[in-house]
Amino acid sequence: MTSKKQRHVVAKEDEFKVGARTILKVGGREIGVFHTTAGLFALRNSCPHQAAPLCLGPVTGTTMPSMPGEYIWGMDGQVLRCPWHGWEFDLKSGVGLYDPYKHERVATYEVKVEQGEVVLYA
Amino acid sequence: MVATIEREAAAVPRPQRTKHELFDCDVHQSIKDYRELHPYLPEAWRKYVGARGFGGPSSGYQTSVGLYRKDVVPPGGGEPGTDPAWLRQQLMEQYNVRYVLLNGGGILGLCALPDEDFASALASAYNDWMAATWLSPEVNIGGRFKGSMMVAPQDPLAAAREIDRIGDHPHFAQVMIASATTAPLGAKQFHPIFEAAERHGLPVAVHPGVEGRAIAGPPTAAGWVSKYIEWHTCLPQQAMSHAVSLVCQGVFVKYPKLKVVFTESGIGWFPHVMWRLDRNYKSLRQEVPWLTRLPSEYMREHMRLTSQPIEEPPTDGQFLSLLEAMDAKQTLLFSSDYPHWDFDNPVEAFRAVPDDLKRRIFYENAAELYANKLP
Repeated sequence: MTSKKQRHVVAKEDEFKVGARTILKVGGREIGVFHTTAGLFALRNSCPHQAAPLCLGPVTGTTMPSMPGEYIWGMDGQVLRCPWHGWEFDLKSGVGLYDPYKHERVATYEVKVEQGEVVLYA
Repeated sequence: MVATIEREAAAVPRPQRTKHELFDCDVHQSIKDYRELHPYLPEAWRKYVGARGFGGPSSGYQTSVGLYRKDVVPPGGGEPGTDPAWLRQQLMEQYNVRYVLLNGGGILGLCALPDEDFASALASAYNDWMAATWLSPEVNIGGRFKGSMMVAPQDPLAAAREIDRIGDHPHFAQVMIASATTAPLGAKQFHPIFEAAERHGLPVAVHPGVEGRAIAGPPTAAGWVSKYIEWHTCLPQQAMSHAVSLVCQGVFVKYPKLKVVFTESGIGWFPHVMWRLDRNYKSLRQEVPWLTRLPSEYMREHMRLTSQPIEEPPTDGQFLSLLEAMDAKQTLLFSSDYPHWDFDNPVEAFRAVPDDLKRRIFYENAAELYANKLP
């Protein structure tokens, strides 16, 4: 239902640099908007596990699937960890990295730069 | 627009109050600076400690997510669990918690120190600090903070003297030792602790965290594991060994009013041990002739378990079956573990549980256990 999504100005582009995040209230939902080294992301501020304020968690990378004893760091700036239990989510897709079947995901939203403003569609 | 985690935590209240009042049986307050204990230490130990601190040994097992929730730093900064007003607001008001049991933080490490005299002195200093701060009339408004007194299991006679010294304080509600003892708790060497605790109507609680440190020995029955995830998952092994030992060594026969609380040690093992021990008792009773009831009866009567980190089976049906199997309406005490990383939110963690059982777990079981310290 793209047509029902509304345009929200989050910030001026030059005031929302890498490392910035903010949490907005949009029609009863809380949505976290992030500018990380991997880009702009927006997702729902509620962890599917115990309803923690997910978007307060650290943005990081993680160890990628590998062979036993092998450690490969990846997805830098693309992983959001829940501030309570550390569950990992892909900021791009909202998918939980702990879920081998990729069924569990947090809602994500379109966020981009338009005419010097960071804009959220939600 | 660059929001810090701390600022957002204060700015985004998340009302999640349960309709039931809670008694939270595992909350971790902290000492801002260990020098706060100096006034309560004998001079010789102050000199020994000097500027280097208390030297709580590390096991080397490091959590990859940190020790704390990321939204629990007090508004004025500092270590989580050091600001009573913030704890009241973020935990007690947020989740409708009437009483919290303050179980300390790093201080638990004294139970693994090789010097038993130093460990006993530290325990006493910590208890006096608690009485002068969190449990003082000025801070403990309404008496809603209850404390666990620390004792050093390395010297059970000194521990018993400490229980006698402060056991009748109105807000020390139980005796606390680390689950990583050097022998299973039913061993005769520990009986003076149980005798003193029973004398003062205080439960004895064991809490994990020290496994693998200093004199505590390997953290699992199989030896030294590699990762924190292995270390943390195996912590209930200690509780299992203690539970079996306490029953078989006749501790509850000798001290029939004693209660033992397994804090933060899981719950799934409890029915397993009850059933296995009952089965073995039928064949091997000859070895433990002082047990005149089924082992599981002693366990249900004398043992309590705190809930967090609660097991999360794939279905509600399995979860409710587990609660029934462990006799949760009598044995299970709610705990959140605030402000640690594996905190349980009572609203979400117990969503599937019917109201009458929730009341038992959230409040009534604890209110009965600690009744002599409540108004």
